[in-house]
Amino acid sequence: MRVRWWRCVLGGTLLGSMLAASAAAQIPADDGTHLGVTSCASDNCHGRVKPLDRVRVQQDEYLTWQHGGDKHSQAYKVLQQPLALRIAKNLDLPDAEHQKLCLDCHADNVPKERQGPQFDLTEGVGCEACHGGAVRWLGIHIAGRSHADNVEHGMVATEKPEARAGRCLACHVGDDKRFVTHQIMGAGHPPMPFELATYSQKMPPHWTVNQAYIDFKFKGQPNEPNDMQMWAVGLAEDVSRRMQLLLDPKNAPKGINPELSLFDCQACHHAMSKPEDLQWRPRASMGLPPGRIKLYDATAVMLWVVAERIAPDAARSLHTHLLALHQATGKDWNAVTSAAAEVQKDAIALVAALNAHDFGREDAKALATAVSGIAIDGVDLDYSGAQQEYDALRSIVTTMGQLGFTDRPQIDAWNEALDRLLASIADDQAYRPDDFVKAMQHFKEKFVF
Amino acid sequence: MRRLAAAALLLIGASSAALAQSAAPAEPPLGVHLGVATCSGSNCHGSTKPVRGSSVLNNEYLTWSRRDLHAKAYVMLLGEPAKKMAAALNLGDPTKAERCLNCHADTTKDTPGPLFHIEDGVGCEACHGGASRWLGSHISNATHQQNLERGLFPTENPIKRAELCLNCHFGDSKRYYLNHELYGAGHPRLAFELDTYTAIQPAHFAVSENYTTRKGRITDMQVWTAGQVIALVRRMDAVIDQRSHSGLWPDFATFDCQSCHHEFVPNMGPRLSSITGLDPGSVKFNDANAVMLRVAATRVAPGLAKSLDDHMLALDRATQSDWGTVQSEARTVRDIALSLETALAQHEYSPADMRALADALIALGTTDQAFSHDEQICMALQSIVAGLKSYPDLPHLQAITAAMEAVTDTFPKPEVIAPKDGMAPRDAGVFHYDAFVKALKNLQRTMR
Repeated sequence: MRVRWWRCVLGGTLLGSMLAASAAAQIPADDGTHLGVTSCASDNCHGRVKPLDRVRVQQDEYLTWQHGGDKHSQAYKVLQQPLALRIAKNLDLPDAEHQKLCLDCHADNVPKERQGPQFDLTEGVGCEACHGGAVRWLGIHIAGRSHADNVEHGMVATEKPEARAGRCLACHVGDDKRFVTHQIMGAGHPPMPFELATYSQKMPPHWTVNQAYIDFKFKGQPNEPNDMQMWAVGLAEDVSRRMQLLLDPKNAPKGINPELSLFDCQACHHAMSKPEDLQWRPRASMGLPPGRIKLYDATAVMLWVVAERIAPDAARSLHTHLLALHQATGKDWNAVTSAAAEVQKDAIALVAALNAHDFGREDAKALATAVSGIAIDGVDLDYSGAQQEYDALRSIVTTMGQLGFTDRPQIDAWNEALDRLLASIADDQAYRPDDFVKAMQHFKEKFVF
Repeated sequence: MRRLAAAALLLIGASSAALAQSAAPAEPPLGVHLGVATCSGSNCHGSTKPVRGSSVLNNEYLTWSRRDLHAKAYVMLLGEPAKKMAAALNLGDPTKAERCLNCHADTTKDTPGPLFHIEDGVGCEACHGGASRWLGSHISNATHQQNLERGLFPTENPIKRAELCLNCHFGDSKRYYLNHELYGAGHPRLAFELDTYTAIQPAHFAVSENYTTRKGRITDMQVWTAGQVIALVRRMDAVIDQRSHSGLWPDFATFDCQSCHHEFVPNMGPRLSSITGLDPGSVKFNDANAVMLRVAATRVAPGLAKSLDDHMLALDRATQSDWGTVQSEARTVRDIALSLETALAQHEYSPADMRALADALIALGTTDQAFSHDEQICMALQSIVAGLKSYPDLPHLQAITAAMEAVTDTFPKPEVIAPKDGMAPRDAGVFHYDAFVKALKNLQRTMR
């Protein structure tokens, strides 16, 4: 069994890594004082105008974040836009930009006493929102100590799937403290699809994975995590979190409905003027009659696909419990939470298994086939499933580059096929599974190596 | 055996008396169904043209068979969409499934007569009742009253007609509803308003002087009112009915379709809570019938209007507390609806009343973007315009009719698809609220 060095530090046993999984999923309540973006963005630190080449850090991270299209830097500013004001009004709030409800994800909303002198809330989701409060490690960080040293002093190991998933999913899925409820959605908040590896690439990344980076971040490890592993671990963390949200008493039925944002958006939100607008279709992995609201399960289905290759026993267990979870919505909330607890156990166990696996080219081949089979064999053709299938294949293709695959025409053909897939899911209201399956078949034909 | 049957009849008799009082579902009276062919003789109801001087049009069969979708109800079950739906519901062959046939054919419980064909769909006796007991007197110039006494169904009675139509066009607590499972399997959405749907069926009768003499004077406004009352009663019955719950969920068929089935539009209309007091993101009951009744009652019975409004709000808000409160509020709303029927049925709508009602509906439509409300507003206005036409001396009737058509045109048109393909009509196109408001204002101008 291959065990990563950081898990040795954390305990080394499977139990240890399971605890690590749940620990990583939580952002510590106090990670020290946040010094503000300014303390990172000087031009001889991370605020260079042009990137340095072939080094472990390009030093233009601030520029990428601020001007390179990263929406995290605009997260606070959108709270001042008309849509945010409208959402706030619908929620009986005087504004959005001063509300904890909004700021907890639209800014690095640490309490006043942990805001350094240069800290500025309006900078949105800044450096320390993800990398952790810098007061404890800025000194050694500037002093050029090892990455492990920095991490030991409190810097978040965002290069590692579990830690990154913990940070991203805290807002992009939510937890007991921050969660985009259906009330907030109903007030006008847009839906939030997410897949860890794809969204890391879309951010866009302010780092480049080169040899210097690998040497610095993963020194002494048998292999560095690639996007496929990021994707797989991200799925397990995503499912674990969603189950935790189902277990949260706050999300239990109040009146006639449980928390609706845990359900599949397009199960309800679809047009109904043409026969092809119909969204319900029979699914063995769900087993619900027509007209029933379905729990969001796109990441769980994808996790099951990954597990079938990497950990078949865990896959069987997940499949059984997932089916039980869907069936439980036809019974009562106690049945739902019992089933959710089982699915969560499966997901947590899979975090460990997927972290330990060395994802290589054969995995890419097999997983791409399995993912495309989900669509082609009609296992899950729901829109939310299609979104995850596309993201999965995008991450697999990205990984091929990371694994040293350099045949440019081939990679171009894959990307063209991915674009075609994306076009078939561009508009959820115009989504037609037949077109998606056709695009998927096309991808499958192209993805050979 | 015979005694048992007699006892059963007694029970039915007793319960239907009780039901009649509470305006609960009315079953067509017992009688063997003899089949459409029995009625459609060329010198009975199967004339090719309306017969002058006759008490009825005599071409009812032709109107029904050529232009009325009820005649195609069974044929719909032969098409691919019906097969897909039946497969999704594990029903097997839709033409054999009681769940489909119950409304897509005349499912008489008795052994039908030799000329009866289930393929005729929703035929004469599905609505008028099995003819075995009254056909004899009916063709022997008996009075309408005598026919009724022998079991002819009183379709001219607005309440009875409403109950009869809504048995299928919504459902009832004794049989079953067109529930959300059927919608989820692909059944088209059913919109309904008694007066408009009677007219667009199209009606195979004309309210002539002769008709009025034999059956009494029935106005469009009475039919509209009865339709709204019974539709609201049926909705509340569905809420009260425990069967409508399935696992975590109530039967969403009693809710407002568009409260869930909408796109994610960042620039939303007025917040839901301004109407219901509900939080954003809440699922809202379909309260369109209650809204219509409130508008009508505001002029005729203001006390009841207020009461209806209060309890509909309480019903909506109860969805955020518990189902028990929802059900008790539903019982109250049901009672208020029935009291309103009594109050409104006695009201004789003058042209001034109809104009005032139209004004109130137009005022509502120009501010209320809920599709379920706007659709009912449109149909209510159609009933009013039909009602105004019974006063042929009124000025501007032609302009009003044209303006009304323009309002109707802002709604998606049902796709006309040859029923031989088994395709149910579907709404095609999109409702444009702004165009609706513009057309409403124009209608208001012509009515001044």
